[in-house]
Amino acid sequence: MRALSLKTDALDGTLRGVPLAASLLVVLFAAPLATAQVAPELQRAAEAARTLNYVGTIVYQHGNRIETSRLVHLADARGDYAKLTNLEGPAREVIRDNDEVRCYYPDAKLMRVEPRAFHNVFPALLPQQLATLSEYYTFRKLETTRIAGLDAQAYIFEPKDNLRYAHKFWIDIGTGLLLKVRLVSERNEAIEQFAFSDIQIGIKVDRDMLKPPFPAPPSDWQVLESPPGEVVAKETGWVVKDMPPGFAKIIEGYRTLRGKPGQVAHLVYSDGLVAVSVFIEPSPPTPQPVGSSQQGGINVYSRQLNDYLVTVLGEAPGATVRQIAYSVGRR
Amino acid sequence: MDRFQTEPKAEEISLLMDGELDAERMDGVCTGLRDAGCTATWVCYHVIGDALRGSAAPIRGFAERFHASLEAEPTVLAPRRRPAPAAVALAAAATVAAVSLVSWVALTTMPGGDARVAAAIATAKQASAIRAADARPAVDNEYVLVHQEYSPSTAIQGVRPYLRAVAAGEPDARP
Repeated sequence: MRALSLKTDALDGTLRGVPLAASLLVVLFAAPLATAQVAPELQRAAEAARTLNYVGTIVYQHGNRIETSRLVHLADARGDYAKLTNLEGPAREVIRDNDEVRCYYPDAKLMRVEPRAFHNVFPALLPQQLATLSEYYTFRKLETTRIAGLDAQAYIFEPKDNLRYAHKFWIDIGTGLLLKVRLVSERNEAIEQFAFSDIQIGIKVDRDMLKPPFPAPPSDWQVLESPPGEVVAKETGWVVKDMPPGFAKIIEGYRTLRGKPGQVAHLVYSDGLVAVSVFIEPSPPTPQPVGSSQQGGINVYSRQLNDYLVTVLGEAPGATVRQIAYSVGRR
Repeated sequence: MDRFQTEPKAEEISLLMDGELDAERMDGVCTGLRDAGCTATWVCYHVIGDALRGSAAPIRGFAERFHASLEAEPTVLAPRRRPAPAAVALAAAATVAAVSLVSWVALTTMPGGDARVAAAIATAKQASAIRAADARPAVDNEYVLVHQEYSPSTAIQGVRPYLRAVAAGEPDARP
């Protein structure tokens, strides 16, 4: 029914050759750190991702699939630019120009234009969020290893319940840039992993390296432009009655989305590390398939609720998004 | 053990197939599959799934043979025979078109003479709902992209999570 998940051991080439006993010792004796020590690491990683110039190859593993992409990132006085190109299969590209993201799908002759505000959550972690993090995750500093030829420090957030995934991060000791990140299920299977296989940090990046495939899309391409706008904060009358512990509401309101005739209610809940979104829209005229689906580390569950379609998604286990979907109701 | 406790509900059979059944119910549901009605439901769900995924390779009499071989297995609890449930509470709603497809596949692939299997076919025919996991909805990219704005884990990864949206091999994703 589902894509097979790889065992973490199979994915983890970095530990190969290290005697098992030694790596176990590292895990056993890596004492949990206080959450106050977490914030600087994550803030540094978020800052590095945004402010450094780098070019690298990313290996993206999800389920039993592996794909490689090229990432070019440029930060200058005018802002933050990135280009992501699939190296296998259709040459799909994502180009980010500050708060606008364009996705090119040559196989579908389709371009998406997304006005996206990036709410940099980590640089502004509040004491309350830090407290939540330490209540629901254990944070440990693990081994140092090499990723893409660089010395990296590994950290892990292990959930204290089975409502969340474990998150393992490998951070470049020199620059703070995140080199590898892995989502691990309660069955100790890697759900999703992004890892640089090679990277050059702090090099000169030409603007030409970030050029879109063409100045204007060919006439036979379809251009899907998202209406601008964020959530208009407002009470929606919707509520999640049985929210898993640790998830606090960070926004509630309505937004306009492409392809949706009416306003869509959007509620976001976060446990400080991941977020879960709840979308409620009037039922579309043609019945939609409902149930669970998955996109990499994001699990999705949709269900019909009277005259509404409820869709819940986030970087959380399928059972968690399903539980949330079944406890959506009117206030 | 309470007899009632070991009797699997249709939804539990569905969860078992999806690998989402709670560990403590695993034994009960697997034992319950020895019951002909449950076997029929199990087979029916697989036929539905295969049909929806376009990989239907119908084998006549499969349900009967499957049930016979299960019966041949050593039994611990020796459950009583009982008729197939008149109405099976199916996991979630899906489209009417899918239901008629299911009925057609069930009618043309399952042995017709067996009352137990016929009951399962009737269930599929009458169902206004089918197993949701088989008609996995495409992930709505509008939702994913909007969600990522608020995801703390996206913040430290920069543009990388967009790989999810452009990954070519993701079965539930569409451009």
